[in-house]
Amino acid sequence: MAAHCESGTITSLLNHGGLEITEPLVFGIASGIFFGYFHKMKSFTFPTFIVRNKPGQMRTNIEKRLGARFRTYDFKDAVKGQERLDQLLMQNIPTAAQVDFFYMDYVPSWERVHINVHFLVVTGKEGNTYKISDAYFPKMVELDALSLEKGRFAGGSMSPKGFIFHLDKLPAEIDYTKAITKGISKACFYMLKIPIPILGIKGMRMFAKKVVEWPKFARDTEHLSHEIMKINILLEDQGTGGAGFRFMYATFLQQAAGLINKPQLKELSEELMKIGDGWREISLYSARIGKNRDLGPEKLKQLSDMIYDRADVEERFFKTLSRAIK
Amino acid sequence: MKEKEGFIDYPEQQMILYVEKDDGKYGPMQTGSYISANYMDDYVYKRRNLEIDLREQLIRGSISPVRFYMVFEDLTLSELAARAGIRQSRVKKHLEPKLFGKVTIDELRKYATVFNVPLANLLQIILIKDKESFESSLILENKADKTSVEQSPTPNPYVVLTKIEERK
Repeated sequence: MAAHCESGTITSLLNHGGLEITEPLVFGIASGIFFGYFHKMKSFTFPTFIVRNKPGQMRTNIEKRLGARFRTYDFKDAVKGQERLDQLLMQNIPTAAQVDFFYMDYVPSWERVHINVHFLVVTGKEGNTYKISDAYFPKMVELDALSLEKGRFAGGSMSPKGFIFHLDKLPAEIDYTKAITKGISKACFYMLKIPIPILGIKGMRMFAKKVVEWPKFARDTEHLSHEIMKINILLEDQGTGGAGFRFMYATFLQQAAGLINKPQLKELSEELMKIGDGWREISLYSARIGKNRDLGPEKLKQLSDMIYDRADVEERFFKTLSRAIK
Repeated sequence: MKEKEGFIDYPEQQMILYVEKDDGKYGPMQTGSYISANYMDDYVYKRRNLEIDLREQLIRGSISPVRFYMVFEDLTLSELAARAGIRQSRVKKHLEPKLFGKVTIDELRKYATVFNVPLANLLQIILIKDKESFESSLILENKADKTSVEQSPTPNPYVVLTKIEERK
């Protein structure tokens, strides 16, 4: 199992290729930590937020910063897409695939949603059934060929287009100081300086401001309850390692401190763990008020204040982190 | 978060949480989902009520089957159109009960793929008796106490095999 599908998938391919590296290190070097708020978007029925960088960026950042090479493929034709996957599996090459989570029949129905950016590793095939290592499952799972095809070739936003990749090459040596420094400085830039009001710390403040308007988007109280409780799911359940990736990033900082001999990162890791505890409070609060249908203006204002508070502490945190890594 | 604070006993949905271990090191811990462990009943309650509400509208003819599933599966119009590979203006027509009759079999097959249901299920409602009441197959899946309802695809893309039998 891993905390998150993309970082977990990349980590498992790197580990399989012989590189001993942890998921937090992959996540941190890839500048995975982020925030974005989407109040109105064509792809979403309701306002929502993200807590990581754009799907696919972790892999490309790891290539740039570690010097690893992944061989990638995408396809217009599902038959050719399956043939290529089968050829790779015949050569015993574990292959990552991007899929729509909705078609993964091994997932309990209450977890299945249409999201085109789930990553898993296909490790083999027997008859018409693929063997899959999915970061969110403790054991290997199986999926029939038709379901995998539907998942790989689903349409819509960020459609997978049959995308698969595998490890091609590892570098002889890795400059972890350079990789970690770059990973952290980019993460700080995106959190603090990106000039788009829905992204980074600005996005967090936008979320805090706009969450009090959520009732007007809901069909009824039940719908609003569902969407408010989804805040908990997005922060804790959809593969974040807890507290919207803040716990995993804190782990990265602790590991990085030892790896590149920068003790200040260890202090910052402790600070981020506490920041994560604050996000956890938001998760629990959202679940509670949603369950109790206690969703009046006062409670939403309190939720808003809690989010504003996270924006303030994270702004201070990332400024300190940015200075620490220079 | 300390390790003992983060552990939830819920084998049905496991995840990895990063926590502070006893020795002060941060690391992964396998645990259950907090929200599923504590609020699953509420989630099922809301899903059931949503399905009943949409089903009643569908039976009355106030909404079309495409709108039923679009709302139930939380898709926007543009997302549904993109996933189905059907022009958005045409999907919009199919959302209207009076215009739904213009849909082609092939378009129904595309919608069925997006919703991951057999094509036949766009034109029928399956209720299964569970204990004393009838429950939608969308909520119950195939977990009714006494009746098994299994639907499997056939080589014919327009035909599904539905087997209904008494559980032994």
